[in-house]
Amino acid sequence: MKRHYHVVAIPIRIVLNTFGDHNPNGMMYVLKENEEKVKRLVKKNPFMPVDLVQPLFIRANEGDVVEILFENKLPFHAGMHFQEAEYDVCQSDGANVGYNKETTVAPCEKILYKLHLMKEGNYYFSDLGNVSSDQNGSNSNGLVGGLCVQSRFSWWTDPETGKPINSGQYADVHHPLLPSFREYVWMFTDEMEVDDLTGNRPINHFSNQEEESFHGANYRYEPENRREQLVAEGVVCPNCEGEEVHHDSWVFGDPSTPILRGYVGDPAKIRLFHGGVKETHVFHYHVHQWFSDPSDLASEIFDAQAISPQSHYTIQPLYGLGSLQGSFGDAVIHCHLYPHFVAGMWGMNRVFNTLQDGSQCYPNGVPIKSLKPLPDRPAPPKPTKMKPGFPNFIPGKVGMKAPRPPMGIVGGRGLTELERNAAITNPRPGAVFTDPCPEGAPVKEFNISLIEIPLIYNREGWHDLTGRIFVLDEDLEDICLGKKAPEPLVIHESSHTRYQINFTNRLPHILDGDAFQLVTRTYEAGMHIHFVKFDVLVNDGANVGWNYDSSVLSGETIQYSYYADTELKAWFFHDHLFPGAHQQHGVFGTGVVHPRFTKYLDSTTGEEVDQGTEVTCVNPLIPDYRDFVIFAQDFTHLVNKDGKPLAPPPFPGSPDDPGLFGVNYKNEPLQFRLGKDCDPAYSFSSYVKGDPITPIFKAYEGDSIRIRLLQGAQEESHSFNVHGLRWLHERGDLNSRLENQQHIGISESFTMEMNVPRSGDYLWTFETEEDLWNGLWGLIRAFDEKVPELIKLPDRPEPKERSTPLPECTGIRPPSAADPTVEIVKGPLRKYDVVAFQTSIQYNSFGDHDPDAIIFALREDMEAIQNGEIEPVPLILRGNVGDTVDVTLTSYLKPELFPFKDGIYPYPIVKEQAFYPPSLRISLHAQLLDYDVKTSAGETVGFNGDQTVGPGESRTYRWYVDSAVGVCGMWDMADIRNHRSQGAFGAFIAEPRGTEYLDPYTLQPASTGASVILRNPYLPDTREFVIVMHDGVRLLDKNNQVIFDPVDGILLAPPGIDEDLLDTYDQGSRGFNYRSERLINRYLEHAKIHDLFSSDVFGDPSTPIFESYVGDPVTIRLVTPAERRRSHTFHLHGHRWKSDSKNIHSRTESNVGFNVAGAKRNLQLLGGAGAYNGFSGDFMYRSGNIRWDIEQGMWGIMRVFEELKKHLPKLDQ
Amino acid sequence: MTQPNECQPINIIREEGISTHFSQNINKKVLILTEAFPFMFIGEIISVVDDFVEMKVQNTSIPALEGKTWFVHIDSIEVFYIETETGIKIPELKE
Repeated sequence: MKRHYHVVAIPIRIVLNTFGDHNPNGMMYVLKENEEKVKRLVKKNPFMPVDLVQPLFIRANEGDVVEILFENKLPFHAGMHFQEAEYDVCQSDGANVGYNKETTVAPCEKILYKLHLMKEGNYYFSDLGNVSSDQNGSNSNGLVGGLCVQSRFSWWTDPETGKPINSGQYADVHHPLLPSFREYVWMFTDEMEVDDLTGNRPINHFSNQEEESFHGANYRYEPENRREQLVAEGVVCPNCEGEEVHHDSWVFGDPSTPILRGYVGDPAKIRLFHGGVKETHVFHYHVHQWFSDPSDLASEIFDAQAISPQSHYTIQPLYGLGSLQGSFGDAVIHCHLYPHFVAGMWGMNRVFNTLQDGSQCYPNGVPIKSLKPLPDRPAPPKPTKMKPGFPNFIPGKVGMKAPRPPMGIVGGRGLTELERNAAITNPRPGAVFTDPCPEGAPVKEFNISLIEIPLIYNREGWHDLTGRIFVLDEDLEDICLGKKAPEPLVIHESSHTRYQINFTNRLPHILDGDAFQLVTRTYEAGMHIHFVKFDVLVNDGANVGWNYDSSVLSGETIQYSYYADTELKAWFFHDHLFPGAHQQHGVFGTGVVHPRFTKYLDSTTGEEVDQGTEVTCVNPLIPDYRDFVIFAQDFTHLVNKDGKPLAPPPFPGSPDDPGLFGVNYKNEPLQFRLGKDCDPAYSFSSYVKGDPITPIFKAYEGDSIRIRLLQGAQEESHSFNVHGLRWLHERGDLNSRLENQQHIGISESFTMEMNVPRSGDYLWTFETEEDLWNGLWGLIRAFDEKVPELIKLPDRPEPKERSTPLPECTGIRPPSAADPTVEIVKGPLRKYDVVAFQTSIQYNSFGDHDPDAIIFALREDMEAIQNGEIEPVPLILRGNVGDTVDVTLTSYLKPELFPFKDGIYPYPIVKEQAFYPPSLRISLHAQLLDYDVKTSAGETVGFNGDQTVGPGESRTYRWYVDSAVGVCGMWDMADIRNHRSQGAFGAFIAEPRGTEYLDPYTLQPASTGASVILRNPYLPDTREFVIVMHDGVRLLDKNNQVIFDPVDGILLAPPGIDEDLLDTYDQGSRGFNYRSERLINRYLEHAKIHDLFSSDVFGDPSTPIFESYVGDPVTIRLVTPAERRRSHTFHLHGHRWKSDSKNIHSRTESNVGFNVAGAKRNLQLLGGAGAYNGFSGDFMYRSGNIRWDIEQGMWGIMRVFEELKKHLPKLDQ
Repeated sequence: MTQPNECQPINIIREEGISTHFSQNINKKVLILTEAFPFMFIGEIISVVDDFVEMKVQNTSIPALEGKTWFVHIDSIEVFYIETETGIKIPELKE
């Protein structure tokens, strides 16, 4: 079917909330039919939000061809670039890339785009005519939208009127065969320019400083600051503080942000888009869970899911609205990153239990809009005086804080008559209006308190004076007396358990002020839970919408009731009343829901336990396992032993990236790991400075282990890596790809299940430079023989009695690791002779360069690189399944070539910089391959031997390619400050057995290179393109002046941007494969932003040009070996792939999120080059981060030819 | 059990063999794994009706499905183990 939309891009004033905060320079896409109306309404309402001012959301069906007549009424070239769709790149790309025809349009002009919609799902669109990340750019000002593609034969109606609609964020979608469902579109937007009523930047009333930047959804936000002002000025809710009522509709009425309305049990889809330009957010939706791939029943279950800029998902809540238990009320939806949540990035899912026909009102007198029942579901009962339905039976008082729930608080009140009418037959504390627990479920009671206690993070005495932690009541005394070390509370139970929680708030009323934050009253607290089933009205541990405030005052106890219906991995819990104020002090914990019939033993004594971050689990049906829990933390407010604040913010209360990092309330900074010879190469060695204070999880060789990974606080992305081990990415799916890295944002929860194949010390890290530098690492120690501190797994053989003493800290450099090559090789042996040396790298033709780079290369290329005959590129090695690969590494590092002899880089920096002189030793660590960590991990870790090499020394690592895992990152682990961001990385590609690698231009065998042809007797010839994404690079310009990227690369930047205001992890230059085509260089030659990607104007970019013919099979190997914590999205125009190349049920997508150190993906292009429709032209590959990646050079071209070219032999099919 | 017949397809012989084996173990405890939901059954064999095993299910992966009588088609059985006096015991599963 052909559909047609006429879309106009217009300038528009966007009013973001009812407080009058607005973007005077907003821009939006709007349907032509609404253009005049929206302009008129905005003119009439200069300080009130207008419903029609929302990102453009249009709809079509799978298989449709959609024509978009795009008309530009903005004062610059603009366009619409569609992700996921297939299209003629010379006609409908919405950009001006390479040698394509220009498809942005000048002001007042029009263009017709033609899109082929191949698959149901979310199709993001945005402007590429003006990619400035600054406030003059188009994307941050709102020029984004979404095309929601439905199953074939669908149609859609307005949920309020039941009439057909052409656009809008809410629709009811119908189908002749499938159930109707509520469709809600939720588009995160961030970093928009905001003025207040006076036309100035909003001021935070608490700190009197400029407010945090804009974080919202669908052009709306509801900041805590604004609502708090009404409290502070005595307009509402006397005696309230602010954060605890931020989401309370009883106090303020409903927010301006989206409220997704439905009835209990309605099927629903949330089309989630990230239309922001910079931040990775975490989408969290109370009460509900969903599959990570809605069409794949074996995929992971989430209730919090990170999302990177310009990426998207469909969230399909399991069991419909209200989940399995049919809970009605308000379920808050928010970005879980607290500074964003506090800034206003939240809304609600309102689940009604009575019919809304437009005749009812909310308690504050605001009419409740009509909501048509879905046509294939029974209508809910009509409200009556005695049963008015949610929210009108709740005995609250408008303008005051929400009432406490009935029954739950010990010594509290019972039910009113209206509440009794609304309640279930046998209400009990925590389950009054819905009972999530089936009859007969075993009950487990936990008594949990929240207390304040100082936490000491490391042996240097870094500490948090106002640590706040959950503890079991029975441990209260021991923890307060120092008899038991504090750790995040982890409680263990099996599925099919009814949890009975008695939660006592033992916090002081006041959170004290210091260099990090101002004095804050935190007088009430609750325990909000993820994953488990519960009654949201009384048991949310939160204060949301028209629900009850299910928290308690200091000294009070509240009873909660939950049900774990299935094995749910680790469910996160935390306070939801003052999390922005105190969660970073440690207010988080988890309950692990194990398989039924599991018992939990203390790993040392074997005694049965029900809590702990490390336990041994015994189950009669499945293999016994060790269970390890790791919580990442950031914004950790630490002072050193003398009381000096560490990495304090610019002023107390600033959300500007305050503090340091922790893992399970500990850290082990590398600056304290130097031995007498001050060589960073031994920072991870236990021989030199002993074991780290961070968790060392114990197992015996061969044990099954499960790692529960969570993030407890507070704003940032982290990249968890385990060196030498790997797991199935989707734990329940044997078709899933293997992984050894996981991106995580706050509140996400992942379970990794694996076996420990050999004894030795396995390093786990949060791999980005600043995390690792500040101590986010530890060990998994696998013993070969019996140790007294670890019981064996009951179903495993008895470990051998100890024959050799365990190694001990000696204070001197570790012994050299054994030589792995003495073992006889079975099967093919592949050898690589690799050298590491310093050289200069030209990052582009404009003279931007890194004069102090360190690279790995094949020895045979070293001389040519040093002579300038070969340009340096990241080293790419390959091997086939079945190969044994011996990589011999030789160091040629020279001390005089390091620019900073103390290791303190003036730019880019990391927090808490300290003396860390460059190591002359170097190593080569590889991901995902099979090797003995004691000899071939390419790092010197724990009590493993030394695997680094000094100048002139060589060492051989032996790796086994036991699976065609595709791309694996490779990097140095000898000195993560002075080597890696300087270029000491590359990639290894594990190919199918029998594959040959050919140079694509000569067809001669290739020993390395980012572009090769893979020839395999059983597979089609395939072009392989390796894209190495990296950041944190210190570049100099042609005048040898340091480039302060990202600031120096911002297009249309206003004068006076201070690079010190950037987060540390944004600092540095970035690109692909040691190249960066920074747009600012092009702009200074030709000041037309829409032309900056054009090869007609500038010639081709310096980043790799990957060439192919239409229909060629293409696999892209995407890897991010370095370096910083900002996660990047990768997007390739006009093509899609399976999100898991090994799983046919996985979703198709055209972007890859979460590219941070350790991330890697194999992208098999569906339909090959040019996709199924066989289009030719220049397809841009790029970052999805408008701020600050594309401008700073993270883009390149995949060139698809239609006609045979002399220089490029065609594939032999 | 019928005698193997050269004219009979092997699958028929196999199905008959399994049915017969279950018939000979009425009232015994059995563990069955299936490819489809709910994947696992532990319980007592009550009878065999054609190619269905009737069983009193003590445990499955989903508690709500327990304590009921189930008919499991033998084609859906991937793995089974019947507890006898000689072999190891099927674990007693207690919460």
